[in-house]
Amino acid sequence: MLLIGSIFLFFLIIGAPVAFAIGLSGFTFFVTSDVMPLSIGVQKIAAVSQSFPLLAVPFFVLAGHLMNESGITDRLFKFSNIAVSWMAGGLAQVSIILSTLMGGISGSAVADAAMEARVIGPKMIENGYSKGFSAAVIALSSLITATIPPSIGLILYGYVGNVSIGRLFLAGIIPGVLMMIVLMVTAYIIAKKRNYVAKDARKPTVRELAVAFWEAKWALLFPVLLIITIRGGLFTPSEVGSFAVVYAVFVGIFSHRELGFADIKRALADAISDIGMIMLIILMSGMVGFAITFLQVPQTVSSALLSGLSNPTAIVAAILGILFVAGLFVESTVLVLLLTPIFVPIIKQLGVDPVHFGILMMTLVTLGSMTPPVGVAMYTVCAIMNVRVEHYVRESLPFLAAILLLVFALLMLPDLVLFLPRLAF
Amino acid sequence: MKKRLAQAEFALVSAIFIAIVMLVFVASIMRTFGHPVMWSVDMAQLLFIWLCFFGAIRAMRQRGHLGVDLFVRLAPHRYRLIIETAVGLIFCAMLAVLAVEGYDLTILNKQRQFGDSGISYAFVTIAVPVGSVILGGTIIYNIIDAWRHRRAEQILVYSLPEESSESIPPVTTSPTTKQDI
Repeated sequence: MLLIGSIFLFFLIIGAPVAFAIGLSGFTFFVTSDVMPLSIGVQKIAAVSQSFPLLAVPFFVLAGHLMNESGITDRLFKFSNIAVSWMAGGLAQVSIILSTLMGGISGSAVADAAMEARVIGPKMIENGYSKGFSAAVIALSSLITATIPPSIGLILYGYVGNVSIGRLFLAGIIPGVLMMIVLMVTAYIIAKKRNYVAKDARKPTVRELAVAFWEAKWALLFPVLLIITIRGGLFTPSEVGSFAVVYAVFVGIFSHRELGFADIKRALADAISDIGMIMLIILMSGMVGFAITFLQVPQTVSSALLSGLSNPTAIVAAILGILFVAGLFVESTVLVLLLTPIFVPIIKQLGVDPVHFGILMMTLVTLGSMTPPVGVAMYTVCAIMNVRVEHYVRESLPFLAAILLLVFALLMLPDLVLFLPRLAF
Repeated sequence: MKKRLAQAEFALVSAIFIAIVMLVFVASIMRTFGHPVMWSVDMAQLLFIWLCFFGAIRAMRQRGHLGVDLFVRLAPHRYRLIIETAVGLIFCAMLAVLAVEGYDLTILNKQRQFGDSGISYAFVTIAVPVGSVILGGTIIYNIIDAWRHRRAEQILVYSLPEESSESIPPVTTSPTTKQDI
């Protein structure tokens, strides 16, 4: 295992694509093993593609790109803008609300952060918000997408850990909304102190709000329909994913009339590249995933953890600490694929609901993409908005503290997470 | 020629993708109305691995595979090119072994049927050798491309050039961001 682990880290550090690092480390296991023939490795790669729940990944990725092309992003932005831009730190509030709404459409934090950095970022700076503050709000609020359904990360967690994806989707709603509130309050306090208020700020009339809401109705309806169809296990998440694609095409062509042949082609092209990138990592993890189980890594890790600590909450907190630190360095998809099979058996043994743990895990590993030293969302936003990383880091501290406080609260109060899935299943 | 090939590939993989969506969509509609079609989902599942590999090949051509470039980002272009070439060749060697093993496995598995659809499972396993060969070919093509243009210091094997905040020219952001406060 040491050899496999060091090969993985070696290739990761020299900047190889994650899929290469995972593939080569798993490959090493089969080459060095005396009992396992390489053909099993090939079978494990092929077997990954035979999981029905995983089909939800390409579906939701394509649906997200299609909705983007069909003007849904625009409408959601207008709606959020009218709804909250009058508050203190109005544009920051818009960014946070928009992340929440976008979370219900696409499952990617980085895509959301990049889009907002282009759309809202310049306006924030124009209105006198400090650059670091603007970038921090945009990047950190994209964390909300990690738990709001449909979240690609939660699909992967459910697939690897053998946890119901439908329950995970429902469980993510309340934490996502709480995250939105916590971030909005933090932004409000800071904005009030610094007097970040737009000059023409005024509350919208009910009529204006209603018009914007109506314009965005198909986009706002989508997450609601998603939850209704998944509730109670009537349809599987993969089936709902195929509905989402059809829905996006219909709304784009017939209602918004913005989706032409060229747009569909572009959405398909972008989606195929995204899927290829994610799925190569997942296919390659078939080999190393088998190695992890075969070498009984979960048992070794759990006996080490259980011998040191006795209080279940302390152990879960320790695991979450490990995940947070690992998330600082490694991309979230990879952590979900590699660490879920190790940690889920342990927390189950402790009597923790894997749905509860999954939400916490997803939040923490995704948070790593908004922090240095390796944060894809952070670098993307800072590059687009031309912000120095030091400024970003300083301004993101209050938000980071608020998020960690919320994670702690969610850890201590499992009912907050499990309330909705219990109600629906 | 190159462009034609890319267009054909895009048409093929789009067709596969649309087929997967429709197969699952129709199957779940039919099931709701009490006429389950078993082969439909089986068929979608079988096409899935082809979508994955062709998507991965496309992403490789666009140099879109994600990696951690923290420790190599600031290295001179020449060193990065050497590292990426070496890593690319090692990965190609692995793909070659997988291709050979996958081919043998496919021949061995020809009899195994996929679900109860009557389609051979070989159609799934053959995707591993075929995908590996094309992916490996793409990496080698990228390596040749990068070495041919090494003087321009713009093209690498699997990463896009430098994207840190310092090197982004201000032109790429919208003009409003340039008003510094």
